Amino acid sequence: MNVSFRNVTKSFGPSVVVDDLTLSTEDGEFVVLLGPSGCGKTTTLRMLAGLEEVSSGDILIGEQRVNDIPAQRRDIAMVFQSYALYPHMTIAENIGYPLRVRKLGREEIERRVREVATMLEINKLLTRRPRELSGGERQRVALARAVVRSPRVYLMDEPLSNLDAKLRVQMRGELKRLQHELGTTTVYVTHDQSEAMTLAHRVAVMKAGRLQQFDTPLNIYNRPANRFVAEFVGSPSMNFLEGLVDAGARAFTSAEVAVPLSDSQLDVLQGQERVTLGIRPEHVRISTVVREGLLPATVYVTELMGNETFVFLRLSGGEKIIARASADFRADLETPVWVYFEMDKANFFDATSGNIIASERGSG
Amino acid sequence: MKERGWGSGVGGRGLMYLLAALAVVAALLPVYWLLTISLKTDLDQLSVPPKWFVFGPTLTHYHNAFVERSFGQYLITSAIVAVLSTICALVLGTLAAYALARFRLPHRLNTRLALWILSTRMFPPIVAAVPLFLLMSDLRLLDTTAALVITYTAFNLPFVVWMMRGFFKEIPRDLEEAALVDGDSRLGALRRVILPLVAPGLAATSVFCLIISWNEFLFALTLTQTDAAMTLPVGINGLVTQYKIEWGMMSAAGVVAMTPILVFALAVQRYLVRGLSLGAVKG
Repeated sequence: MNVSFRNVTKSFGPSVVVDDLTLSTEDGEFVVLLGPSGCGKTTTLRMLAGLEEVSSGDILIGEQRVNDIPAQRRDIAMVFQSYALYPHMTIAENIGYPLRVRKLGREEIERRVREVATMLEINKLLTRRPRELSGGERQRVALARAVVRSPRVYLMDEPLSNLDAKLRVQMRGELKRLQHELGTTTVYVTHDQSEAMTLAHRVAVMKAGRLQQFDTPLNIYNRPANRFVAEFVGSPSMNFLEGLVDAGARAFTSAEVAVPLSDSQLDVLQGQERVTLGIRPEHVRISTVVREGLLPATVYVTELMGNETFVFLRLSGGEKIIARASADFRADLETPVWVYFEMDKANFFDATSGNIIASERGSG
Repeated sequence: MKERGWGSGVGGRGLMYLLAALAVVAALLPVYWLLTISLKTDLDQLSVPPKWFVFGPTLTHYHNAFVERSFGQYLITSAIVAVLSTICALVLGTLAAYALARFRLPHRLNTRLALWILSTRMFPPIVAAVPLFLLMSDLRLLDTTAALVITYTAFNLPFVVWMMRGFFKEIPRDLEEAALVDGDSRLGALRRVILPLVAPGLAATSVFCLIISWNEFLFALTLTQTDAAMTLPVGINGLVTQYKIEWGMMSAAGVVAMTPILVFALAVQRYLVRGLSLGAVKG
């Protein structure tokens, strides 16, 4: 079932938490709401769940407007950040709860609980109580309680954030697999961009209550709609250089940096003067030998990550940028090096609004 | 291991037990005295020096109080009034407390309402005695158990609301939201998820209500006149007459009045401790 937000606004008193959100998912799609804390993503999810009232606008599940339908009749399932397992019930009772309130027969409930428990590999825990379980096990129980019936939509509010790093990656994979198998529309909230990138069919990036971009992970990464999205997605973050478009010299100039621009880039940047160049760390190449067109820089610090090295560089104008280098890259601090930008991968943003400057074709 | 707290070492421990024993004696002596008086003959009761341990026990006073006089009836009335008013106060107060703990009302009405409710506990009950008497008289409820049930419910409500509001606030909101999303109604979630979790709190609150209602004297004295609606405390008071104080019967009735509460408190003791310390440690 698809989910639509139409001009949805939510305000608590004078503060607007979600501002004119319009967004539609496809049926069976895995949509991730991504943003820093306080961006309104959780409020958006809670409005969809029916736990928060909508101030204005419409929320639709399928063709049905659900604004005035209470949570219990929206036919959704939600996984909470805290898991919200019922502490006084056994695991089997927890998982069976949504079925019990729907007055299903005892045998039917038992059968389905066992089925889901087997699927999520928690069938040995059924007689225990939540407090006896580890974080990862609780997480599975919370998932089981959601998937024990077939709701129209799954809602997940940072379900992995309480797990340790290793378990998080493992559960992330299982969640993706599970959603694929169930094929149910899922709206997932997180502030972790790696979760968003790996799980989502499409990511909705939010900031201060406003939707910044709603697109596939790849497009979000490669064609960010604005500086905020560019900065928020990707780790380490995209490099930004403030500068001017010099049409005569066919170059982007920033302090002492001058980068040549291609014909198509000059096309796109026509009429612009002050712009921000955005370049991802992996598109910054480091060379230890000088060649024409390379920019001089010094190594500020390096961080060996195991499979790669983050190199923090200082350009001759004083700007700091980060480059991704291979794991065997070695350089002492303050070593002079030369860098090269893969300009075909670069993005340009309006210096004042922060919006991407793109041709009609490229903005898609 | 150099530092020695209280209660470590033989001397310290001995002192601790001594103090504990003193406290127990101080608490239980009146009870013991009451019990012995109820079993002593009129003559033994007033003997000097007092007969602490050795006397010829008799059940005359119990017989007099519960067979010759209407103390059996008072006991039943007391029980009905205490149980009914406790149930009423718990049902109403718990629902009110849940609403106050959970729903966001405009203009900070939650806190204001809660404080307003609490403020009704602040004035001395005697202030309400005359208005209540007139009210019950107008309602033709004087000298009925209903008058007492209503009054005790009203006076226990603030207490229930405040106790239960605290317990509800301890329960994470997520739990009932999960129940709602799982398809349960508000009341269903309250019954199946929230109430089981505040059960220790409910137990503690009900004990207090029961004790207060059971022992209440002022309103019972004002609002009742005959055996039809008299409770034990009022009945016992009636044994102080112009000419004589019936020490034996008073004690016998006192012992009987004490027993049910004692038994009940012991029965729910486990919950009581948990209820009172609920919230101190997150479970």
